[in-house]
Amino acid sequence: MTDAKRPHSSKLSEAEAIERAKQGDAEAFEFLYNLHKRRVYSLCLRMTGNVASAEDLTQEAFLQLFRKIGTFRGESAFSTWLHRMAVNVVLMQLRKKGLPVVPIEETTEGEEEGTVRKEPGAPDERLAGSIDRLQIQRAVDELPPGYRTIFVLHDVQGYEHNEIAELVGCSIGNSKSQLHKARIKLRELLRINRTEKAGRR
Amino acid sequence: MNCLQFENALPDYLEGARTAEQQAHVESCSVCSSLLADLNLISSQAFSLRELEEPSPRVWNSLEIQLRQEGLIRQPLRRPTLHSLIFGWRMAWLVPAAAALVIVAGIKLYQPAGVGDNQPVAKQVAPPVTPAQPATSAEDRDIMKSVASRPPAQVAAYRNDLEQANAFIRDAQEAVRNNPNDVFSQQMLINAYEQKQMIFRLAVDQSDDGQ
Repeated sequence: MTDAKRPHSSKLSEAEAIERAKQGDAEAFEFLYNLHKRRVYSLCLRMTGNVASAEDLTQEAFLQLFRKIGTFRGESAFSTWLHRMAVNVVLMQLRKKGLPVVPIEETTEGEEEGTVRKEPGAPDERLAGSIDRLQIQRAVDELPPGYRTIFVLHDVQGYEHNEIAELVGCSIGNSKSQLHKARIKLRELLRINRTEKAGRR
Repeated sequence: MNCLQFENALPDYLEGARTAEQQAHVESCSVCSSLLADLNLISSQAFSLRELEEPSPRVWNSLEIQLRQEGLIRQPLRRPTLHSLIFGWRMAWLVPAAAALVIVAGIKLYQPAGVGDNQPVAKQVAPPVTPAQPATSAEDRDIMKSVASRPPAQVAAYRNDLEQANAFIRDAQEAVRNNPNDVFSQQMLINAYEQKQMIFRLAVDQSDDGQ
């Protein structure tokens, strides 16, 4: 998983902030929070689809992390540690609510037709070049929760399949196939939205 | 290779495991190449959702209060979020600050009546934590009036700072309500008013400079 690019502060570096936070420095805590809040919050919001829940989970993720900051030794990136904590907090919340974290691997019945229908002469309806960030955001919010989890973790947050498998408790193969289904579903949603939009004009 | 076979192989194909046969099919089939292009586009656009939104100031305010209550923040309370200027207290701000201290003292001196106690307890009942300070909205109006002639970006910045300061005050008030004996919460409330006072002072001082 790659780390997001981080802004450089002339006043404090992340490593300095971590050491000062271990000593109880309020400014250091706030610096670390501001550095990572957007990514953690976006993760929580994409996975829950709810602003209030996302804010509560963001707070909880940082709180759990800051409680343990004294044990951080720098072997892995701080951001990796934090985002892993945020993912666990969100997944626990989804499980508590009885929401599916990942879809159960389905049998192949009904899938044998595939998505691609070979229609000779049919127009090529590519999405390429015709979707923006808002459209994809809306489509992701419409995904079923299990698909959304895998898609957000892999394509948005950059986790690898082995990491996702460990986090959500599925096989690597399941993670790959569910990601593929999530992308296919998103393609359908984006096409539907585009058709609806064209019809309203 | 037909289209169904290609689609079944797509998950691994997109991860980089490609055969010459699959590659040849993509190059010769417009439908499959269209599907592949769309899936790649969706995947690449997804990254733009990574840091899209920002949580409200309430999240940090609540988090900071919790960190202080748990003793994870241990230094003396300061909030140098604005320029570090040392201001004398304006008379108008002695009222809300004094009110905050009265509330805190009242809460600390409050002695609830014991069971079976027939004597009326000479207790100082804590006044509502919503203190008798000048209405926040009136002070906000004064501040915004002071900066009204500034560039729009500055006016917006003052408005944003005020919203954050007010949110901080509300959160600190709630913390004191929930934990009336907690020193950190009490200090947080005073700190919250200090922050508001600094915004007022900054607005007025810069207005005076501009005259």
